[in-house]
Amino acid sequence: MLFDDMREIQHRYGYLPADQVQELAKTLDIPLYKINGVAEFYPEFRVTPPAQAVVEVCTDMACHLHGADTLFADLEQRFAKLGKKAVEVHRRSCLGQCDSAPALTLNEVVFRNVSLELAENHIQAKLAGIELPAPVFENQPRELTADPYKGKEKYGALRALVESQNFDGVIATLKEAGLGGMGGAGFPTSIKWDVVKKARGDEKYIVCNADESEPGTIKDRFIMTHLPHLVIEGIIVGALVVGAKKGFLYIRHEYKEQEHILQAEIDECRRIGLLGEGILGSDLNFHLEIFVSPGGYICGEGSAQLEAIEGKRAEPRNKPPNSATVGLWGKPTALNNVETFANVPQILANGVEWFKSQGRDGTAGLKFIGVSGDVIRPGAFEVPMGIPVHEAILGLAGGPVNGRKVKAFSPSGAASGFIPFEKYKDTHLDFKSMRAAGTMLGSGAIVVVDETRCILDMTLNAIIFFRNESCGKCVPCRVGSQKLVDLLVGWTRGKGSQADMQLVADLAETMEQTSICGLGQFVPYPITTAFKHFREEIEAHVLHKNCPAGVCPMKA
Amino acid sequence: MKTIELTIDDKPVVVEEGTSVFDAARMSGISIPVLCHAQNERPIGVCRVCTVDCGDKVLQASCVRPAENGMKVFTASDKVKKHRKMVLELLMSDHPSPCARQRVSGDCELETQAAAEGIVTPRFSKRVSPRGQDDSSLVISVDHEACILCDRCIRGCDEIRQNHVLGRRGKGYNAGISFDLNRPMGNSSCVSCGECMVSCPTGALTNKSIIRTVLPGGEPVGVEELKQLPFFQKVSGTFLELNKNAVIKRHFKKGEVICREGDYGSTAFYILEGQVDIFLASMSSKQAVAQEAPSLIEMFSNIFSPKKKPTSGSRTGSIPIDATVDLPLDNPVAQLGAGDIFGEMTCMSLYPRSATVRAKTDCVMLEMLRNVLDVIQRNKTLRAEIEKNYRKRALEDHLRTVPLFASLSPDFIEDLAHQVELVRYSRGEVLTRQGEQARNFFLVRIGFVKMVEDHAGGELVLAYQGKGGYFGEIGLINRGTYAFTVTALDNVEVVRIGVDAFNKMLERFPEIAASLRAVATEREAHNRRHSAAVSAMSLEKFLNQGLMEANSLLVIDLEKCTRCDQCVRACSDAHDGVTRLVREGLRFDKYLVPTSCRHCRDPLCMIGCPVGSIRRRNSLETVIEDWCVGCGLCARNCPFGNITMHELPGTTTQKAAVTKKKATACDLCQDLPEPSCVYACPHDAAKRVDPNDFFKEIIGAGTLKAPALDSGAHGGKR
Repeated sequence: MLFDDMREIQHRYGYLPADQVQELAKTLDIPLYKINGVAEFYPEFRVTPPAQAVVEVCTDMACHLHGADTLFADLEQRFAKLGKKAVEVHRRSCLGQCDSAPALTLNEVVFRNVSLELAENHIQAKLAGIELPAPVFENQPRELTADPYKGKEKYGALRALVESQNFDGVIATLKEAGLGGMGGAGFPTSIKWDVVKKARGDEKYIVCNADESEPGTIKDRFIMTHLPHLVIEGIIVGALVVGAKKGFLYIRHEYKEQEHILQAEIDECRRIGLLGEGILGSDLNFHLEIFVSPGGYICGEGSAQLEAIEGKRAEPRNKPPNSATVGLWGKPTALNNVETFANVPQILANGVEWFKSQGRDGTAGLKFIGVSGDVIRPGAFEVPMGIPVHEAILGLAGGPVNGRKVKAFSPSGAASGFIPFEKYKDTHLDFKSMRAAGTMLGSGAIVVVDETRCILDMTLNAIIFFRNESCGKCVPCRVGSQKLVDLLVGWTRGKGSQADMQLVADLAETMEQTSICGLGQFVPYPITTAFKHFREEIEAHVLHKNCPAGVCPMKA
Repeated sequence: MKTIELTIDDKPVVVEEGTSVFDAARMSGISIPVLCHAQNERPIGVCRVCTVDCGDKVLQASCVRPAENGMKVFTASDKVKKHRKMVLELLMSDHPSPCARQRVSGDCELETQAAAEGIVTPRFSKRVSPRGQDDSSLVISVDHEACILCDRCIRGCDEIRQNHVLGRRGKGYNAGISFDLNRPMGNSSCVSCGECMVSCPTGALTNKSIIRTVLPGGEPVGVEELKQLPFFQKVSGTFLELNKNAVIKRHFKKGEVICREGDYGSTAFYILEGQVDIFLASMSSKQAVAQEAPSLIEMFSNIFSPKKKPTSGSRTGSIPIDATVDLPLDNPVAQLGAGDIFGEMTCMSLYPRSATVRAKTDCVMLEMLRNVLDVIQRNKTLRAEIEKNYRKRALEDHLRTVPLFASLSPDFIEDLAHQVELVRYSRGEVLTRQGEQARNFFLVRIGFVKMVEDHAGGELVLAYQGKGGYFGEIGLINRGTYAFTVTALDNVEVVRIGVDAFNKMLERFPEIAASLRAVATEREAHNRRHSAAVSAMSLEKFLNQGLMEANSLLVIDLEKCTRCDQCVRACSDAHDGVTRLVREGLRFDKYLVPTSCRHCRDPLCMIGCPVGSIRRRNSLETVIEDWCVGCGLCARNCPFGNITMHELPGTTTQKAAVTKKKATACDLCQDLPEPSCVYACPHDAAKRVDPNDFFKEIIGAGTLKAPALDSGAHGGKR
């Protein structure tokens, strides 16, 4: 694997020195530009020597709400005098720690709930060559409804399936349960698996998308921490059903703890004969390995993820064909989200009736959601599908501090944009109800803002995230996202006109219509959503050069 | 092949399964604007200019969207046009207009399309962070500001030239193109082949006017003037600018000969004004009709000599020539006029000129080198146009050239002409495979094919067929499956007659059926005899070493040679201290064929030269002109390892020690009366021979010894 070889070099030198890359290119017999192309594409790799301390501050959504921009500016200013060889301070895209904002990394180690003082202490220690203990995260074991094996032997559903080999039965059961893709699209899992199962050819793959990188999305981290066996069991069941002999669990490299938890679970499965050749003495074979992502939100896009596994730049493919028929290395591939896989053993072990009884208001199953931002108890929660919005925001997460009112929330991280709480507080959190209400459940990444916040500021923050994460393959997303940022930055600084608003609306439509993948299509969604629900507030900025919340600078 | 039916802009269209919407539209005469899709490259769908409405939720890039049954495509609806314009406006907002290409040749594809859409001042703000320029290359100037990341250069470098230097760097809005590990172009492993520049739609990669192609005589033609001609419209202005003297204008007075039959040219002509006559200088030299399969030795000599034995008797028919008409035999003159092209096949397949062309009136011509024609032909629309004219004019006449068909009635020939295909094969392509179901009858029009019988121990070449030859009848008449595997030895053009048309012909013309049956039977019998006779012979193996391709072969008589190396020293002395001769190689009998250019009849080395510097100058000898850019493609293409790349001193740049290279091959010491190696040999062991006469002599004299094949250091192709 190219990335592993590159990691080894980077581990030894701290970056990828040209002579080492040249050696590698020779050994692997690949062109230099290919290595350079991926080295410059993925945030994990460096082509220049690092400073003694490399600080990267997340400034997306929840971290932005918790003062990350100030933290970033302060750190940058304090250490500027030491020079770039001592300390580098950068911004970095969401680290998946939205429940412990703000977060940063220091030499690739994640720190949560960071104060300026804490950050300074650790940086100073680094510079002095003192190794302070790395932060430890406590993961209290959690009793979860979703686990069908509480106190029982794990992997019961898989054992039964190996015994019966009734693979069509699994597809029928999932269809009856109505399981949809939990990555956000809600596409029926039974259909996807059926397509891969029926696709011609012996070589097929299964991929678990554990690349959760969208601001606000922390549910997969939670599932992998507390229910790793359900994820692995779901993948193995899926592999047997579709006929895949090889699978990859694609996890973001910042999720080191979860990687270790899952690796331990995989090792355990190998030991007890649930993975490898001749599963439980049958003639079924399946090999699963963890693929650590070298980083980037775009890797969460299915076809881009497959490109990454193939060792290329994670640039989404043109569709059709879909990855179910032409996937990894051109072979049929079933690609599902962590939560989808974790649902499979729940349904198989407890039965469809149990699954349907878990949801509220005619919806089925449990849902894992993240609630972050302006709330007292941010975190990931296991809830019945279909609970009303207010129950999640005010009940579970405790609502805003100091008795402030909730102004708006984003139901699915950066992509969905902010919608008014008052209007949506009773809407049920399930795919159908949310869609019917003109918004989306997506990945269940609820980011809350209270009445002191500015919608334009939050919208711009979301679009900057997309601009940073655009892979650059197609024109509308690569150029359009930057132009959108330029225009919106102008609005927060007192520049803008009626014509601008029309231009943004037109550009949004073109990006939605002509971008290759979902990222590009969703870049403008936060601003079009803001136009829909907070038009007055936007117009106040653009037409009257006034930020009603007093957040935007409104001057150049 | 399954077909797909769809409508494009309400027009019903039927295409083969797997065709893209873009191609389906193109084939039905609807042109969709595009930037990132060059027709000679794999489509990647990144510019999104070619997006069309296929009825899906979002628009689709037509270059990568496969056509589907029942699809209703709209290529220019208001919605499509609105979004296409916005994409162009986005690109224009960061484009340094006018870019280098627009300034020099006025044909930046982005600026042209944006202007057509009425985009004057883009509404978006310009890029703030500069992307910079790179002037480190001696040949090509890089303006990253003008780059639209269409990836055409990357695919050109990778897929067309196999140089693998260019790639995408960075990510998102900061993505760009880069060389190797993001080096300046001049310090990278770039060989300056120029393909990236030819592929570039904008001024991001332009010519620095360092290298100059030179076609002697004539007058230069301005790029703007060329771009007025439909033939050149689609060719990158940068490319034309770079190859300024690769297209020249020539005036011919009435009666003047423009090119002569038998000449080995490397240029094609386009008639701007006037008319020309085409005729054959020597009729007899042009008829080559193999009535029966010739013996191997005969065939051997046929291949070595382009001049075929005259056949007796007068026939009506016509002679395939290298132009878009065939010549009626009884009056071997045809006319071409303004807008016509001739010499194209000589230029592409490197065969001698098949006819003489003389100015009928005062004429103005454009003469062009192979590399220009190569680029022109990449445009499928244009190629289809040339092909269409060619078929229309040539097919019917060609059918009459075959004596076998002399008795076909004119109406049947006309009818047949609609049912046959004119098909081109390139070197190494298989026309028929032994044992496969026979579906076609083939008439060879241009080039050579090899007919091979597969045996357990290897393959046995039964015959070679050249112009006028035919095959497929054994399969169609006797067996139902093809009797041989037939492979193209060079660029071959055949007339292909399908089994239905063939059977109809046999039914209507019993005498043709009878003579074809006789030929088939005789060929089968001959092959059986031949199989038995030559099974132990090594000549075939020897032929497979590619010596039959040779025009002039350096041989060393090992019984006379004392290994004194004077030949090598002489070569080195004659060529600035770099020898072009290595005294090692293939052995046959008592002769050594050293590693030295053989001046092949069908020189693989010339295919693909980006600047047309490896070519022929009116003779069979291959020369490397001094405008060689040192890309090394010819050296890689030569199957015999006879072209070496050597470093050119004194071209080291200031920035890094990148040495410019140049290709060298034996030039037969053209300025001297005799090649230096031959002249220097004190033992009369080294000789330059015409392999035709030379081997015929050995074989004929019966001195052929047991297989003495030593493939040596350069075993040649297999």
